[in-house]
Amino acid sequence: MDRSSHLSVILDLCPTQWSLSAKPSNPHPLPFDTFLSHLLVFLNSHIAYKHENSLAVFGALPGKSVLFYSSEEAGDLSTAEVVQSDPNSYRFFKTLDQSLVQRISREFDILGQPDTEEPPALVGALTKAICYINRLLHPAQTLSSPEDSANLPEPRILILSVSPDASNSYIPIMNSIFSAQKLKITLDVCKIFGPDSVFLQQAAYLTGGSYIYLEHREALLQYLIMSFLPTPSIRKIITIPTEDKTDFRAACFCHKHIVDVGYVCSVCLSIFCQPVPVCSTCRTKFPMKTLQRLNMTRTPSQPSTPRPTNGTPTRQVFSGLAANLR
Amino acid sequence: MPPRRHDDIMDVDSEGSDASLDYDGPRRKGKGKAPKKKDKGKSKVTEAPYAWEASYVRSWDTVQEDESGSLQTAVDDLIARGRRKRLLAPSKAIRRTIIRHLIIILDLSNSMTDRDMRPTRFDLTLEYTREFVNEWFDQNPLGQIGMVGMRAGVGERVGEMSGNPPDVLRAISERHKLEPTGDPSLQNAIEMAKSTMSHLPTHSSREILIIFGSLTTCDPGNIHETLESCIRDKIRISVVALAAEMKICRELCEKTGGQFGVAMNEGHFKDLLFELIPPPAQQTTSSALTARLASGAPANAPGNAGGDLMLMGFPTRLPDTSPPSLCVCHSELKSQGFLCPRCSAKVCDIPTDCDVCGLMIVSSPHLARSYHHLFPVKTYRAVMTTEETANSSPKCHACARMFQSPAPSGPGRKASTAGKADGSTSTTNGNSESNSIDGREGAAIDTGADGISALGRYRCTDCSNDFCADCDVFIHDVLHCCPGCER
Repeated sequence: MDRSSHLSVILDLCPTQWSLSAKPSNPHPLPFDTFLSHLLVFLNSHIAYKHENSLAVFGALPGKSVLFYSSEEAGDLSTAEVVQSDPNSYRFFKTLDQSLVQRISREFDILGQPDTEEPPALVGALTKAICYINRLLHPAQTLSSPEDSANLPEPRILILSVSPDASNSYIPIMNSIFSAQKLKITLDVCKIFGPDSVFLQQAAYLTGGSYIYLEHREALLQYLIMSFLPTPSIRKIITIPTEDKTDFRAACFCHKHIVDVGYVCSVCLSIFCQPVPVCSTCRTKFPMKTLQRLNMTRTPSQPSTPRPTNGTPTRQVFSGLAANLR
Repeated sequence: MPPRRHDDIMDVDSEGSDASLDYDGPRRKGKGKAPKKKDKGKSKVTEAPYAWEASYVRSWDTVQEDESGSLQTAVDDLIARGRRKRLLAPSKAIRRTIIRHLIIILDLSNSMTDRDMRPTRFDLTLEYTREFVNEWFDQNPLGQIGMVGMRAGVGERVGEMSGNPPDVLRAISERHKLEPTGDPSLQNAIEMAKSTMSHLPTHSSREILIIFGSLTTCDPGNIHETLESCIRDKIRISVVALAAEMKICRELCEKTGGQFGVAMNEGHFKDLLFELIPPPAQQTTSSALTARLASGAPANAPGNAGGDLMLMGFPTRLPDTSPPSLCVCHSELKSQGFLCPRCSAKVCDIPTDCDVCGLMIVSSPHLARSYHHLFPVKTYRAVMTTEETANSSPKCHACARMFQSPAPSGPGRKASTAGKADGSTSTTNGNSESNSIDGREGAAIDTGADGISALGRYRCTDCSNDFCADCDVFIHDVLHCCPGCER
């Protein structure tokens, strides 16, 4: 329990969603600058929590992902940007606050006002965060003795999400989740605005983190401090709200219905709600015998609840596969 | 007789990566494709049939001191080379067997008590088998493993076929039940494994992995008939031998399309086992070949072997707060669990086959776990020249580590590699972007094909971002997603 902890924060910086979030017509509007000030308090309290705690902040901007801040570059004064010294504030807080705000505003300036907005590069930010933690956990081979491994930080990633799921990011997000599981990284998700994200719900569930949908957005700081500041080892003692209704059923590729019993292609693992003679993804022809057998056993009333979203890929994700497997 | 090789340091290095392999015969599959050197024919005149006829390699020559007399850089270099070599395997999409069935045959004969591997062959085998099972299920979540032991001349069922890792591990958890004794019988064990897998559908693979410590086998009949029937049933047999090569073991592997290896030491034993973890490419061409070997057994549907529709159930997960009820698998009172969609029986763990109606129960993350085999990340190209790094970031795109600056390139060999690469890469750079893959191959061959970048930069051919060596390995081995392309 004495281990230090590393926190990687991923900020979803999708301008459209943030402007929607700031609209006063919302029941609980949250403009970006308020969000930022809440966030800075939270980040400062994380570094203040324990001296060895480290921090990295990644941003998912439209079409690109950026590392805004990391503890190690802040420790290295030569690379850190010139920070005005302020006798009334702790130097690390000051460095963090200033460089983070400066860089975010610089990225927004670069962004300008494009006509069409690309979806935020959440996958890029997530994979970068995982690679960064991988580097922290495997420093240099010369150091890897048992007592050193006890000193390695306890890693976790907090995703502050505002934008909805992008269906073509299903496979990379799942791959990231599995590598996070391997590295024992806890993925926490705070959904600040927008519809529930099924992918991130699964991410939190599969890595033992918590997924929190923010209802009272103006209380963001309280949510952050009460739920996301404690390290995973402390969370065994205190109770953190968790999502217990994550649904892992799949949707078929043909009609997007949620299926209970599906027919799966053995080559590319596409899911269908009824026996089909040819796989629509990889063009594999299925033997006649199987089709007859499956049609025989098929229950007459297929449960086809018209629920639109769930955690399975859509057809377009697989479009590239068809050529590869033929 | 002095060894026939050049004094060029470059050559000594690449020879070195061959060195460790010459012990177990030059025909070892998978290892033979180490560096493709132009003068390969000179250093090995003909493929020597025995290890002692191969040219003598001094492994200590591969380690060179750097200017300060330290071995650290040489050691780092060797480690990097070893890790990088695995990545050079083809990364293009090939059809792989996703649904696998594997029987592990453990040798439990007297010869396993030998202490040539520490602590004993038997203990080491159990330990590695445990790691193997965990890693195997991680990469093949829809597969199933069964265990058979060879002891006292008979095959002995140690663990039933199961898709649940704890169940499989429980089978080998009790050491005293597996105490080695007597002689092994390959034929009995293979027959038992074969009958266990006889009912399996054609789209799944049937594999046998034999960990064999003995040099004899005590069979009731003709083992070649067993081999023929395995070929007919398309069972792929792989053998990891702990003692020495046996003719029958090699034959089993070669005729069924499996891999054969003799473990030289503890580390090599583990490597051999773990090579068998990634799902094998589906045998569309080789199945025709094995069919021909099996003296005229008809090859059925060579083009499209294996494609099939499978019935799978996606269960409803009961939340932890639901009222407790009995599960069908262990008859224990639990609140969490999964409901079979067809018969509403409650099972504890997925993926599994429903104990009541036999439906295969999976969840969508299990399917997703296999996708990375279907969409591999492209191999990154090693950046060789300093010109290429001119407009790229000074930091690794993934982990933000600073790249080493190219200026102090100490050993002359690095300079020469860079110089050599100069010509080819600059010409390929002149070509259009779409040709970049061909350019990569050209550059790789030119620089000794081990793909080590002197600058420590590896560039994605799609997004043109540079990554450090550690991230390169991590991305291809674990993450399966390029942070630059986001795919």
